[in-house]
Amino acid sequence: MPAEAIAATVSVDVRGSDGKPLAGAVIALDTPRKPAGPIKFDPPYEMAQQNIAFVPHVLIVPVGATVTFPNRDKVRHHVYSFSKPRKFDLKLYGKDETRSVVFDKPGVVALGCNIHDAMNGYVVVVETPYAVQTDANGHATITGVPAGGATIRVWHPSIRAPDNMLVQSATIAPTGFATTYTIRGR
Amino acid sequence: MSRAVTFPALRRWRFRHLRTRLAVQYGMLFAVCLLAVALVGQLVIWGQARDAVRAELRTSGSVYDRIWAMRARALGDSASVLTRDFGFRSAVASGDRPTIESALGSLRARADVPQAFFVDPTGRVFGAGPADVRRAVASVPTTLAQGRTDAVITTKTGVFRLIVAPVLAPDDIGWVIFALPLDLREMAALQHLSSIPLTATILARNAQGSWRGVSGAITPEPALDAFVATAIGGRGEPGLLSLPGGDALALAKPLSGPAGKPVAILLLSYPWAAAMAGYRTMQIGVALAGILGLLLVLLGSRRLANGIARPIAALDAAARALEEGNRTELLVESDDEVGRLAASFNLMSAGIVEREHRITHLAFHDTLTGLPNRTYFCQQLESDLPRSLKRGERTTLLCLDLDGFKGINDSLGHPIGDALLRCMGDTLSRLANDAVVARLGGDEFAIILDDRGDSDRPRALAQAILDEMRTPITVAGHQIATGVSIGIAISPNDGADSDALLKNADLALYRAKQDGRGVFRFFEPALDAAARKRRMLELDLREAIQGGQFRLNFQPIFDLKRDRIGGFEALLRWEHPTRGNVPPIEFISVAEETGLIIAIGDWVMQEACRQATAWPDHVRIAVNVSPLQFRNSGFPNVIFQALSHSGLAPNRLEIEITESVFLDGETTVVTLLHKLRAMGIRIALDDFGTGYSSLSYLRSFPFDKIKIDKSFVNAVAEDKSAAAIVRAIVDLATALHMETTAEGVEDRDQLSELRGQGCSSIQGYLFSRPIEGELVEAMIGSAMSAAA
Repeated sequence: MPAEAIAATVSVDVRGSDGKPLAGAVIALDTPRKPAGPIKFDPPYEMAQQNIAFVPHVLIVPVGATVTFPNRDKVRHHVYSFSKPRKFDLKLYGKDETRSVVFDKPGVVALGCNIHDAMNGYVVVVETPYAVQTDANGHATITGVPAGGATIRVWHPSIRAPDNMLVQSATIAPTGFATTYTIRGR
Repeated sequence: MSRAVTFPALRRWRFRHLRTRLAVQYGMLFAVCLLAVALVGQLVIWGQARDAVRAELRTSGSVYDRIWAMRARALGDSASVLTRDFGFRSAVASGDRPTIESALGSLRARADVPQAFFVDPTGRVFGAGPADVRRAVASVPTTLAQGRTDAVITTKTGVFRLIVAPVLAPDDIGWVIFALPLDLREMAALQHLSSIPLTATILARNAQGSWRGVSGAITPEPALDAFVATAIGGRGEPGLLSLPGGDALALAKPLSGPAGKPVAILLLSYPWAAAMAGYRTMQIGVALAGILGLLLVLLGSRRLANGIARPIAALDAAARALEEGNRTELLVESDDEVGRLAASFNLMSAGIVEREHRITHLAFHDTLTGLPNRTYFCQQLESDLPRSLKRGERTTLLCLDLDGFKGINDSLGHPIGDALLRCMGDTLSRLANDAVVARLGGDEFAIILDDRGDSDRPRALAQAILDEMRTPITVAGHQIATGVSIGIAISPNDGADSDALLKNADLALYRAKQDGRGVFRFFEPALDAAARKRRMLELDLREAIQGGQFRLNFQPIFDLKRDRIGGFEALLRWEHPTRGNVPPIEFISVAEETGLIIAIGDWVMQEACRQATAWPDHVRIAVNVSPLQFRNSGFPNVIFQALSHSGLAPNRLEIEITESVFLDGETTVVTLLHKLRAMGIRIALDDFGTGYSSLSYLRSFPFDKIKIDKSFVNAVAEDKSAAAIVRAIVDLATALHMETTAEGVEDRDQLSELRGQGCSSIQGYLFSRPIEGELVEAMIGSAMSAAA
């Protein structure tokens, strides 16, 4: 059986600088061999504004995805992004109004609301199907990863690194790969 | 001076006056109290001042803290206006440098801060400012500790306070940073906030890591480092610090750098002198009050000391005067100890003066007669002589001696003798009331007679004394007939100094005694010559004893009953190397006076016995014994030794004594004679018929022989009376069973007369002159043959 055909499981634990499990961190694996066909994550690609917050806080979408920004609050929002992958500015729109934005470049797009400073959210645009968020236990499992060399990216807003991202090369063994990242805070 | 002084240091001080000492001691005591009060006052003031300044510093410190925080908040607010501005964020997101810098410029003006920068996440710095500040600012956002919005940095340009405000979109996409120089202007503004004129200074580390003032006013030193270290350690308490401007109370506030470590210090200080300035008036007041008090105490204690010391000073002066022999009466002013002391002193000094007089009198006067003594007399003479010599006047010295005083003392007792001396003293004082009369000791008196122009006065006085003393004196019921001998010497002829004059007066007295007593004699130079001769003779005698210049001659005593030589009388001969043959009459008196007779007599006794042992057994040896020798307590021993050494039979030794041995009292002499007789020695009474020739002696001791003096023998042939006396003596002796020897028989008429009268033996030139010892045996032999 060729090595490429082997689908391994990658298990990652992320801990914050205080040593506690860090939830909401994005783990993405770039493999040399991309799977055929468009990348798909569980729909919908939606970043709602609900109770003066972005829901979900972090949304993973593949490159080229169109994300909708429905307003479920009674107040109006002014969603914007100054992030390089995708700058946009959705001027004030009201309840039950929806805007949509196409994310055609990979990267992390930080979202803000010009009216509500406290609101923030992230759209993580990836070019790989192997991307997942850590759960409440700081744990993430990615299945069906082809064994061999890979680049592991870990992203979280609290990571003090360019683009809040750690990048590491790894060799994924056919039997699987497990690692733990501890975020170096300051 | 008392050693129990309050202060040890005072022990070294010697005060001339008690009042000074009291004043100084009280003064010092008070000064010490004042010093203590001043010291305590000073400490209180000091503590007060320190507490006040500390409180103020603490207040200022906390005010400053509040101001610091308020300023940070205000500036933060100012900055956040910009950081939240959508347009600015948009400009930042698009990296629009001109827009960012212009926005910063307007922010600087709006917030009234000198410098404002924007730093993006890659460390790029926007905004104008000194290069090193820009450099320093670039790293601040990444090094600033979580949750902090401000920090202090030190650069070459100065120390800056940074206020950091993040630009959120919604995450940090950059930071707006205000840089406020912590310069003199800022410090001045801070100083205005305090109610007391504090000095605010910024300290930073130098290259060596020591703290120093940024403005250069405060130089690095270990004390400052230690002070700052304490403050950084968390004990932000105000403390005393030595600063270039003088000591100051200071409070150090650590200013944290981006990483949280203190990189600079805000030093709030308050000069100690300024803190104390407010109390200066109080200090001066205390000092003035102290000095005034000290002056008052000095004056008061001086007054008090005077009161105590004046009577003591008077006592001191009186004691000194007494020491010099002047007595002063002290005035008793009070009833206290000092007053009593003065009274006691008066009594004591009176006693001392009285005793002194008595001692002086005793030292210079004779207690018995009350007359001046020898000491006084000699002083008087020594002081009188040079004076009169200068004036060309004469001084006459009379030396007096009672005749036979020893006998009176011995026979009538000392009380009578003393009474006699007193009587004599009175008489002399009365007769010589114009002269100094002194008792020199014993029965010796002396009179110093000054020249009164009457050259006959000495003689007249001497005669008057002799006349007066001739009448018997009645003392305690005893009629005492005594005489006095007087020697007179007149200066300057008879001696220019007191020693010579006294010696010559003594010589004159000696002559007067020799001339039969009861007379006076003036000194003549011949007396001095005679005295000199005697002294010479005495020296020669001593030499003769040492040098064996003596020898014995022997004169035979012819036994008329047995017609043979019965014995020899030993006669002393002195063959002097230069004087030649010195006759005994010339030297025996000197030997007796000097006591040499004892030694000479011993030698005679030994020698006589020694030679006599060679003679036939019936031939005796007769030895003359002087009264002085006889009186000597060792005399029996001398005889015993002579007999035992020579081996001569005691009955062949005959000692000849004269009546004069009885002068010292009959009993002891008789006892001694019996003692000698018990040894077997024969005893003859010499020179019988001269002197007293008391018959009581013959009765008191049974002499073996009586020697009839040659003055009777010489006349026995021609003078009937002499013959009668000789007969009487011979008859008396025969009756008493004593032998008789007639001395000085010179012719046959005398011999026949004596033989007729029954005389036992004869001695004289008729038979033989004294002969040398070696001829004795020959003479004995020829006499035997002649008789035969």
